[in-house]
Amino acid sequence: MSISANATSTAPVRPGGTLERWAERHLRVLMLAPTVLILLGLTIFPSIYMFYAAVHKISPNPDVPWDFVGPGNFLRLLSDQQFHVALLNTAVFTIAAVTVEFALGLGLALLLDKYIRRMTFLKTVLMIPMMLPPIAVAITWKIIYEPQFGVLNEIMFRLGLPAQAWAGDVDLAMFSIIVADVWQWTPFIFLLMLAGLASLPVEPYEAAELDGASSWRQFWDLTVPFLKPVIAIAVLLRVMDALRLFDLVFILTGGGPADRTKVLSLYIYQVAYRFADPGYAAAISLFVLFATIILSTWFMKRMRLAE
Amino acid sequence: MLRRLFFTLAIVASVLALNGTARADITILVPSSSEGDGLRAAAADYSKLKGTKVEIVQAPYANVFEQGANAGATKSGVFDIILMDDPWIPFFAENGHLEDLTPYFKSAGMEGPDSDFLSKSLAICRNPYNTGPYVCLPYVGNAQMFFYDAAKFKEAGVDAPKTWDDVLKAGKALTDKGGGRYFGYVFRGGQGNPVVADFMPIFWSYGADLFKADRTKVTIDTPEGAAAMKTFIALRDISPKGVESYNANEVGTALAAGAAASSINWPNWVATFEDPSQSKMVGKISYSTIPAGTKPGSSEIGHWTMGIMAASKNKQEAFDFTVWATSAEQIKISATRGNPPVRTSVFTDPELTSQEKFRHYPVLMEAIQASTPRPRHPKWPEIENAFGIELSKAVAGTITPEEALKNSQAAVEQITGLK
Repeated sequence: MSISANATSTAPVRPGGTLERWAERHLRVLMLAPTVLILLGLTIFPSIYMFYAAVHKISPNPDVPWDFVGPGNFLRLLSDQQFHVALLNTAVFTIAAVTVEFALGLGLALLLDKYIRRMTFLKTVLMIPMMLPPIAVAITWKIIYEPQFGVLNEIMFRLGLPAQAWAGDVDLAMFSIIVADVWQWTPFIFLLMLAGLASLPVEPYEAAELDGASSWRQFWDLTVPFLKPVIAIAVLLRVMDALRLFDLVFILTGGGPADRTKVLSLYIYQVAYRFADPGYAAAISLFVLFATIILSTWFMKRMRLAE
Repeated sequence: MLRRLFFTLAIVASVLALNGTARADITILVPSSSEGDGLRAAAADYSKLKGTKVEIVQAPYANVFEQGANAGATKSGVFDIILMDDPWIPFFAENGHLEDLTPYFKSAGMEGPDSDFLSKSLAICRNPYNTGPYVCLPYVGNAQMFFYDAAKFKEAGVDAPKTWDDVLKAGKALTDKGGGRYFGYVFRGGQGNPVVADFMPIFWSYGADLFKADRTKVTIDTPEGAAAMKTFIALRDISPKGVESYNANEVGTALAAGAAASSINWPNWVATFEDPSQSKMVGKISYSTIPAGTKPGSSEIGHWTMGIMAASKNKQEAFDFTVWATSAEQIKISATRGNPPVRTSVFTDPELTSQEKFRHYPVLMEAIQASTPRPRHPKWPEIENAFGIELSKAVAGTITPEEALKNSQAAVEQITGLK
């Protein structure tokens, strides 16, 4: 009996040396370590380094040491007129482009839901704009908008309408960029909505039909609540992407005319590379990063996505 | 099977790429344009001749500046030579990115570049301008010229435009007659570098300048500046709609397609205008120096110059290549490849000047000798951006020309700390 008790209370002797035993004990940590290290290297370190750069005045001359300026670069944001213009333009673009893309994407999905589900070819065609490289989209629209030889003005001319400068007109430049962005990204919203509609349960609609609910009532009280998570994800992704707009502006207008399309990403690029002031560029980038995080968190809470 | 093939190809590509850069004796950063193409061809010739492997890295215009500045700031030594646009020279030189060429000339038994180079071409390669040591050698002799359709100008009552008033007179008549499809003038009105580049010659031709000669005072908002701005806005009024966003390609296309009668332009466009596959205007475009305002006209100089990076590990090889590539023989070959020369002997070489495609050489040589460099300031990119925003606003009509001058004065004063 005692022999048996001893046998059960003594841990079995494992083969291998101390290192092997230690490795086995910490296997979970060891397995996670490479991922954590890569994450630290690729995400955390650059973020910390960016913050370090943002509190310094960095000379393009490598022999001049970095000058610690504390919150100086962040305080510059308050008085920098070009930053204010870029911030306003980014906000205008984001609100207008995402609103139109959402309205069109959802509207098209509702209209075509019943007809398109099995038409894989049509879905592929609709996905083409968002599969194109942004630079290719920008160049295509530059050719379309070209005031003298562009196809858009040629159509206007043939219709007897006055030619427009489009991307070169102070009043139309932002509109032109929004149209190009809507063309590229409406299919993204459309496909997400289509997927959401395809996964809706049938029973609530059948019950609503029996109760005599109108189509509008069904849409508002059933479709919208059911689609809410999809809507939230789609809008969130588009807002985050719109805040980073660069390619279209860089190619189509360069931020002009008269600064009407200068957005934050373009301004960060100019400050970092054209004006050789990476410290200040890091400060603006951090501002954009925190603004995006705050906006996204607020939005997720509002849409109760976290739940 | 497919995965294995892809993996093998990736390894082969990586090895080839590493091999290519590792074995290069000299690496040169150049723009992806005719200037860079010319140097690429020269590098291939040099490799065959001397057995030195020259690696050419081509990038779009703005990226050449950015990559060069990054390489300089990090002392990476990744590039031995950079082909620079001349307004970049103060930035690269004053931030310690460029090698002083004086000791290399001395050890080669030379006092400096020979006197066959045009004096204005050499002046820009010294930092400070025309007085300091040589930090580069000129390679492509760009300076703006005035391009115009002589037949159309004659139709409009101006034989050969000598002044901006002549241009306005003929240009207005042609635009009025064009019915919105043909214009008397076209220019680069895009915000930033484009609009500044096309405004500066007009600015100078009215006796205005950005700074006082000794660079102690900003002098944009002056009566001379106002006169230049008045002409610039009048030229806008006879230009195509949308000129606010035009850059070199749009201006070149408008001229080559016969949709505009005149513009300020760079000489590397001559090859396009004289190429039947790209132009409807072959043999029809005339070239002249910049028209006069209240003062003689002056082109903006825009030379491409070869500088040796201070962090280069192959400086002597880089110097040898630079001297070879800018020799009279090589500059002549470069000219036949479409890049304007920087040497008197090439500009006046009968073998070239007898050819139709080089008929603009006498005008170009005169334009270079009458040219003005953009203000030599290490913060020029920032100054150009600020000035370009205000000019863009004036061209777009969102502010008055007077406001544009006043705002530019204030912005440049703030950037430079000058009053």
